[in-house]
Amino acid sequence: MKPFIEFRNVEKKYMIGDNAFYALKDVNLSIYEGEMVVILGPSGAGKSTLLNLLGGMDSPTGGNIFINDHDISKFKDDELTVYRAWNVGVVFQFYNLVPTLTAYENVALMKDVRKNVKRGSVWEKDNAGLELLDPKETLASVGLADHMDQFPSQMSGGEQQRTSIARALAKNPRLLLCDEPTGALDTDTGKEVLKLLQRVSSKQKHTVVMVTHNSSFADIADRVIRVKNGTVNSIITNDEPKSADEVSW
Amino acid sequence: MLLRKMWRDLLKNKVQFFSIFIMSFLGIFVFSGLDSEVSGMDHYEGVYYENTNLYDICAQGMAFKNRHLSKVKYLKDVKEAELRFKTAGKAELSKEYDLQMLFIDDNKISRMILAEGIPYTPGASGVWVDINFMKKQGLSVGDMLNMKLNGISFGQEIKGAVYHPEFVYYVKDVSAFMPDYGEYGFVVMDTGSYPLDDFYYNQMVIRSSVADNTGGLDKDEKNRLSRLMNEVKYVLDSDEVILTDKDADLSYQTFRAEIEQHASMVYIFPPIFLAIALLGIITTMTRMTAKQRVQIGTLKALGFSKRTITVHYASYAFFLSLFGGVLGAVLGYFTIAKYILGMMNTSYILPKVNTVFSFKSYAAVLISVIISSLVSIMACRKELSPAPADTLRPASPKNLKHSLIERSFLWKHIGFTIQWNLRDILRNKIRTIMGIIGVLGCSMLIFAACACLDTVEFITTWMYGELNTSRYSIIMNEGVSYGDTAEYAKKYKGQMVSTLGCEFEAGGIKKSGNITIPDRGNYLHYQDRQLKHIDLHEDGVAMSYRMSVLLGIKEGDMFSWHIIGDDKWHTDRVSDIYRNPSVQGITMSRKRYESYEYSFCPQTIYTNMDPVKELKDDDNIAGVQGLSEMMKAMDAMKEMMYAMVYIMITAAAILGIVVLYNLGVLSLVEKNREMATLKVLGFKSARIRSILQIQNVWVTLLGISCGIPFGIVVINILFGTMPESMDYVAKYSEKSFIICILGTFVLSYLVNRVLSGKVKTIDMVDALKGQE
Ligand SMILES: Nc1ncnc2c1ncn2[C@@H]1O[C@H](COP(=O)(O)OP(=O)(O)O)[C@@H](O)[C@H]1O
Ligand SMILES: [Mg+2]
Repeated sequence: MKPFIEFRNVEKKYMIGDNAFYALKDVNLSIYEGEMVVILGPSGAGKSTLLNLLGGMDSPTGGNIFINDHDISKFKDDELTVYRAWNVGVVFQFYNLVPTLTAYENVALMKDVRKNVKRGSVWEKDNAGLELLDPKETLASVGLADHMDQFPSQMSGGEQQRTSIARALAKNPRLLLCDEPTGALDTDTGKEVLKLLQRVSSKQKHTVVMVTHNSSFADIADRVIRVKNGTVNSIITNDEPKSADEVSW
Repeated sequence: MLLRKMWRDLLKNKVQFFSIFIMSFLGIFVFSGLDSEVSGMDHYEGVYYENTNLYDICAQGMAFKNRHLSKVKYLKDVKEAELRFKTAGKAELSKEYDLQMLFIDDNKISRMILAEGIPYTPGASGVWVDINFMKKQGLSVGDMLNMKLNGISFGQEIKGAVYHPEFVYYVKDVSAFMPDYGEYGFVVMDTGSYPLDDFYYNQMVIRSSVADNTGGLDKDEKNRLSRLMNEVKYVLDSDEVILTDKDADLSYQTFRAEIEQHASMVYIFPPIFLAIALLGIITTMTRMTAKQRVQIGTLKALGFSKRTITVHYASYAFFLSLFGGVLGAVLGYFTIAKYILGMMNTSYILPKVNTVFSFKSYAAVLISVIISSLVSIMACRKELSPAPADTLRPASPKNLKHSLIERSFLWKHIGFTIQWNLRDILRNKIRTIMGIIGVLGCSMLIFAACACLDTVEFITTWMYGELNTSRYSIIMNEGVSYGDTAEYAKKYKGQMVSTLGCEFEAGGIKKSGNITIPDRGNYLHYQDRQLKHIDLHEDGVAMSYRMSVLLGIKEGDMFSWHIIGDDKWHTDRVSDIYRNPSVQGITMSRKRYESYEYSFCPQTIYTNMDPVKELKDDDNIAGVQGLSEMMKAMDAMKEMMYAMVYIMITAAAILGIVVLYNLGVLSLVEKNREMATLKVLGFKSARIRSILQIQNVWVTLLGISCGIPFGIVVINILFGTMPESMDYVAKYSEKSFIICILGTFVLSYLVNRVLSGKVKTIDMVDALKGQE
């Protein structure tokens, strides 16, 4: 089977004064369609950097990143924008909802994204058949049917994070990226969120990549990629991923 | 959804955004208001002169015959020409009123426009009368109007009430300062109605094909007319004929100057408002995008393009300036423009003037919207360029380098309050500059408004208290002999003065004005350029300051002059320069005047003895004017000034309040944390408030000290664009300085009083909890 995502010798270098600092170096990995992948590593290991490269939110300073056989590593700003608009849903640690928009409006924002995106790109062809989801239904599917008209400041952390997931899902993206999605949540709410993500990956065939520093999450993934000091330490395949209910931290 | 976000952001920062809106509004409000009025006057002036076919050239000074007319008509550039007789007579009503009388053969050039009655046809009997005169004197069509010409009474039936293009602006006599319509007037009759047997044509009016009647005479038109005048002079073959173009016409010239004066005002104030709107946009948008940095990164990560986000942030300023501009344009058109035009309508007599919404107003809205949007894009560019991954990260703290001042030796010795404020100013330069500009605009307007009043007040005392100290002027009827006039002068211990029309030339520039010949006496006084009393050289030829400026000459220079009606030119040296607000030209003693072998023939006697009762029915006397009557003529002008002053003061107050309040809120929001810290450290609210007030005092002081010079410039522009016959000295009293300084300070203090009340409400815990 052909991988959906492939990193070849990816490198991300920051210049601090005259010194080069490698946030990522020699990263090689493959991810298959529909997988639930957990990227694990201590703080500062380069997990977020990796996720950002994957989501087209940043460009590598070396190597190639293939998404469905298209190399995005040399993409310009606006090409990356089109890629993100079609392909990627992101969930942040601190939810990053637009504070002046209600839950419903935050999700419906995705319609604006699609309306403004450039037409005729390869991504549009790749994603043919993946229509935008209805914001109301999406919110209902994450259990927020009764919270549509609340502003982020009127919701709990878990509700905000579920709104943020609904926002990412509404795009019906092939790739769902989550950077420490439970980082700001307590255990029970965190579990709810994990269950939701697991369901998304198994039922809706989305590829889910989740970043965390919490090794207890390793059990729920199809595959676990361990990152340390900017390099990939190990890649482990889980034959029998556990349900989110079974993990504890 | 982004529109909703915008709307809620606007509400959240309503004070700042509202002030941007108000400034965009005010800029266009003032611009479109003034421009619609100017465009209206300009347009309807052109329409009127075009419809009535106002003459281009007027020839006088000789007796014209029909052969002259056909010769002139034969010239290539002459479209039409007419002969007529123009003279001064009286209307005999309850008392006598001055009338300008026109006897015409045809009504093609400088056509009168009928308001009521039956139109004139060549050869028709009857009289067509000045509409203002008819209204004021209660005359109606069909009445008999009794008139007097050279002592002979005659009557004609009033056939119509009319407007005349040569009587858009007309005053009683050359020394009259303001029009007082209805107290004198003009009448038009056919030459067949001339009551005496000494008829001759004393004027030829010419309409050319080398100049049009819209928008004044430009340089080319002026040159072509001057060439044509030479041709006319040649075919008329007379040494006596005097040719003038319509620029020399008091009515035409005054109206044009008024329009141009208003036009020059159009561009003074709007840029200030726009500049403040822009500064508001810069600070507000920079601050907001910095605050929404993470949101911007999120939107990008979600797949919004940079363009979409840019458009989103530009739309704040776009909509504010668009709505502000459109509202301003509409309101300006219906309020300012209508109001000023209404006032103009009482000074200038046209059958129809209206405001015109010109393309300039559209352009102004468009320009304001474009500039505002561009500035707003520039202000948020910083947060929009980096990759979303970088924007999502919290911004690296502002580089808080210690400034040069902070490192200097003095720093430690200036105390905490000053340190804190200096640092605050240096770190928020744009905000400080904006505050200074706001105060500047505010104090400039207050100062200019006060100075307007000072000037009008001053002109009154200057004219009727300093330059002319008499309390009555007796105006002689035409044709009264010198001997008789001298008798009156003796009886009332008066000073006789003669004023005649005159033409001047120096270095190729020709101007018309007056020659004033005062006899011995001490009612007329003279002042030099600095308004210091001077005695004119007994035997010299003194020139009024404005005329010398118009001719481009100064004391000691040579120039030529001749009296209208006499073709002999004289060349003289300017012996003195004096100032006079309403009569421009030259002044010489009777002795000097008689040395040219002219006979002194005074029309006016100035006196301090009350002659009103005794002379009421005297046949030799045209009228007596008391000081109070002359002062009354100033009232119309004062009324207009007051209206302008109200507008200016209101604008000043809005400007000051909006800018200062906006800035205050901005700085409070920014300093929230700092002030909470100060509170935690044990500073009392009152102390913190006084710290804030200090900065406010600095900004206000700086603003005022720049505002007053600007105010002086504005006043000078305002009074520098007066008609050529006027010379206004812009005056500003100590009172104006004090009102300006105090007014601005009080305003600034009150705004900050309101603002700093908010210091009390700062919640220490909340403000220090940390960023979201
Ligand atoms: N813009 C940047 N400039 C310099 N260093 C950076 C930048 N972004 C990230 N880094 C560094 O790269 C390393 C990896 O960061 P990151 O991917 O955020 O780690 P984490 O695994 O905790 O998500 C860290 O040491 C971080 O300091
Ligand atoms: Mg991270």
